[in-house]
Amino acid sequence: MVETIVNILFSGIFHASVLFLVAAGLQLVFGVQKIFNLACGSFYALGAYLGIVFVKYFLSVGGPPVLAILPLLAAGFVLAIIGPIIERGLLRFVYDRDVHFQLLLTFALLLMIEDIIKLIWGTYPLSTQGVYLAFGILDIFGASIPVYNLIVIVASIVIAGIMAHILSNTRFGRIIRATSDNNEMAQALGININNIYVKVFTLGTVLGTIGGALVIPSTAAMSEMAVDLIVLAFAVVVIGGLGSMKGAFVGALLVGILKSVSFAVYPELEMLLIYIIVIVVLVFKPQGLFGTAT
Amino acid sequence: MKKTGIVFLLLILAFLLVWPFIGPEYQVYLTLSFFAYSVALLGFNLLFNYTGLLSFGHALFIGVGGYTAAFLTSRFHIPYMEVSILVTILLSGVVAILIGLICVRYIKIYFAMLTLAFGMLFHSFLMKTYHLTGGDEGMSVEQPYLLGMDFSSMDQMAFFSGPYYYYSLGVLILASIAMWRIVHSPFGLCLTSIRDNPDKAEYLGIGIRKYRLLAFIISGCFTGVGGVLLAPITGHMDPGMVFWTHSGDMVFMTLVGGFSNFFGPMLGTVIFITLRDVISSYIEYWRLIFGALLAAIVILSPGGVIEVLTNLFTLIRRKIMAGENAS
Amino acid sequence: MILEAINISKYYGEFCALKDVSIGIDEGEFVSVIGPNGAGKTTLINVLTGFLKPDAGQVNFRGKDIAGKGPEELSTMGIARSFQLVHIFPELSLINTIKVAIISRQAKGMRLFASLARDKEVHEQALEVAELFGLADLLEETAKNCPQGIKKLLDVASAFALHPEIILLDEPTSGVSTSDKNKIMQVLVDASKKIGIKTVLQVEHDMDIVFSYSDRIIAMQQGKVLADGSPAEVEKNEEVICTVVGQKECFQTFNRIMSMNREERA
Repeated sequence: MVETIVNILFSGIFHASVLFLVAAGLQLVFGVQKIFNLACGSFYALGAYLGIVFVKYFLSVGGPPVLAILPLLAAGFVLAIIGPIIERGLLRFVYDRDVHFQLLLTFALLLMIEDIIKLIWGTYPLSTQGVYLAFGILDIFGASIPVYNLIVIVASIVIAGIMAHILSNTRFGRIIRATSDNNEMAQALGININNIYVKVFTLGTVLGTIGGALVIPSTAAMSEMAVDLIVLAFAVVVIGGLGSMKGAFVGALLVGILKSVSFAVYPELEMLLIYIIVIVVLVFKPQGLFGTAT
Repeated sequence: MKKTGIVFLLLILAFLLVWPFIGPEYQVYLTLSFFAYSVALLGFNLLFNYTGLLSFGHALFIGVGGYTAAFLTSRFHIPYMEVSILVTILLSGVVAILIGLICVRYIKIYFAMLTLAFGMLFHSFLMKTYHLTGGDEGMSVEQPYLLGMDFSSMDQMAFFSGPYYYYSLGVLILASIAMWRIVHSPFGLCLTSIRDNPDKAEYLGIGIRKYRLLAFIISGCFTGVGGVLLAPITGHMDPGMVFWTHSGDMVFMTLVGGFSNFFGPMLGTVIFITLRDVISSYIEYWRLIFGALLAAIVILSPGGVIEVLTNLFTLIRRKIMAGENAS
Repeated sequence: MILEAINISKYYGEFCALKDVSIGIDEGEFVSVIGPNGAGKTTLINVLTGFLKPDAGQVNFRGKDIAGKGPEELSTMGIARSFQLVHIFPELSLINTIKVAIISRQAKGMRLFASLARDKEVHEQALEVAELFGLADLLEETAKNCPQGIKKLLDVASAFALHPEIILLDEPTSGVSTSDKNKIMQVLVDASKKIGIKTVLQVEHDMDIVFSYSDRIIAMQQGKVLADGSPAEVEKNEEVICTVVGQKECFQTFNRIMSMNREERA
């Protein structure tokens, strides 16, 4: 009994920690740029695929599997390059447009990236093979927990901590918060809004790509993973509250654990349950658990 | 409507009437999807253009229509198309009331996300009720009787390019007339006023939620009927038809064609169906090109292709008139 | 008494926008609310028209409590308003903007399949209102393309088209050049006579307009009623004039200007 609960709990937290990264990126971009980025799942998928490429190269030049986390993180960071490209190349044209068009532009991105992935990596699932098990398995109260999962959980907590620090203690964080409260005011106070937008969007992108890169040893990369993930990330931010980091954290935990509980208890219910919760939250607390915007 | 517009429409109609005789069989078959999606988008755009609500879950109603047709024809052996359509209108209406009562309390991104959530709820419902709906394998849709007539002795393709073609065209024409009247009615004007400025509309005595709900219901019914028309074409319904990317396809068609024009979405379906067919025969990656096209439309010409065409048309006409004046 | 506010208070967080305000408007009156910025004039209108719920107190329309009733219901009861910042339907033509109000008044909004273009009754009445407001030449113009003055008139015209029993106008002449202010006021007064709107309550800054058109003036300051009486009474009230206009030494100047204006008109 204890062993099952521990198992479910850890797998839930593992899902949650990856979900949190993507959702945090979504929230950050929504908070500052007021754009709900449907393509955040695509960044996650890109992170996963490039992660595989980097890990394979790392292993082929004799890198020890236990250090595979390094090429994975590298893959996530390398993909930061697409942030400025997308923000400067596309998004900046629609900031003053109706929100519907902003949403649709990110939808267009999602369509493009999905096919770019297929174009580069094909349609067959890819995986990092041995890396996941190279980390070994830990016995906690009789439950076998893959050590890699624990590493991801820790990594995610560290990133969350760094984010919290940046947002509340640095100049950049204060500017971000000021801009998300009132971007006209921020502009009037001499903040270079374009500069902030590029940085924030890139940060949001990197959170997504790292999320994808970190998750990939535990699963296989598939072209549908982007679309599947955006639906989950969407559930997370709706439950937590749009634009709230705390909301992303709690929402991710809720969705992650819920997912693994229902998967263990009654798999038929998995997604159904999540949607029902999303709808209930939207109906009774449309601003989400921690949201401020209405 | 302007005279040139009417002439243009009549020309298109005349073309559509003779198309099965002159067009290649396969292209005529593709036209069927055009009819079905056009009906569905009449509903979608009542919400998007005329009421200012973007639904990212409208494929749900395609699903309601399609699965109704599937259940009636293959499970209950009631092959009459008209029965499918009527039952769909009823069911879509009921579903739209239930969902709409919740959704119309919100606008913009929240409305888009709520409709997306409901669409996905329906999607997982279809996936999980395997014994009822066949889960991800879906259900087959039998060839329907049209106006009580059984065409099962006919060759499949002949049925599609003959009776079913004209039946679908008829439904599209009726649906277009109905929608045209709706958007040009006092109700339609009130919807646009709500889209433009809900506060002001409320102060003029317009109950905005009531109107939004009714628009949602009507929209759902039209899209449902589109789903019924779509079902026999593939002969198959599966949960993929309600997945949110299919809703995205509908948004794509509307945007690319031109949402602010009554006929824009129809042009969008032509572009979508043709492009997908042409591109996918060369490369597998039609979504890449579609995404780029959508991005270009959103950034460069939010009025869609129809706006570009009408601008071009007036430009040419002005040039010609200027030329006549000069000579 | 047609519209009456009894002891209403309204808070925005800590800030008290209305403090125990009681006013009454009689049928047939033209009442102006004056006061410096932040006195609570717009809040008062918002509470009276159901846009905001008062935190305490009661709003009566013809003796019935209407507090918390939404704007839609109030408009069908016969209360209409215009806004300080123009509220228009950007994409609608002028005639269609007015038609929305007329459709609403005639309860035709749920006619799904009727042709709007062929509804002569709606069209003629819309035309009538447009003519009253001097908008007849611009019927097909899209609202967002019109100059500010026209937008302002359109906002008011669509409210008038409801044929309300009382109309509340929030600074109907703000953002309009001084020379146009009197013109607009004249249009408003004429239109309300022709349509049969007997009772008007307006918020206005232009003292000349306030004193020449009003039957009664309510002066407000910091969420409270400072004075409530005929123009002749208020004019003599040094405290009111100085708070509203803002300077001590203004009183004499003010009186001088007012008498000059009066002579000019005579």
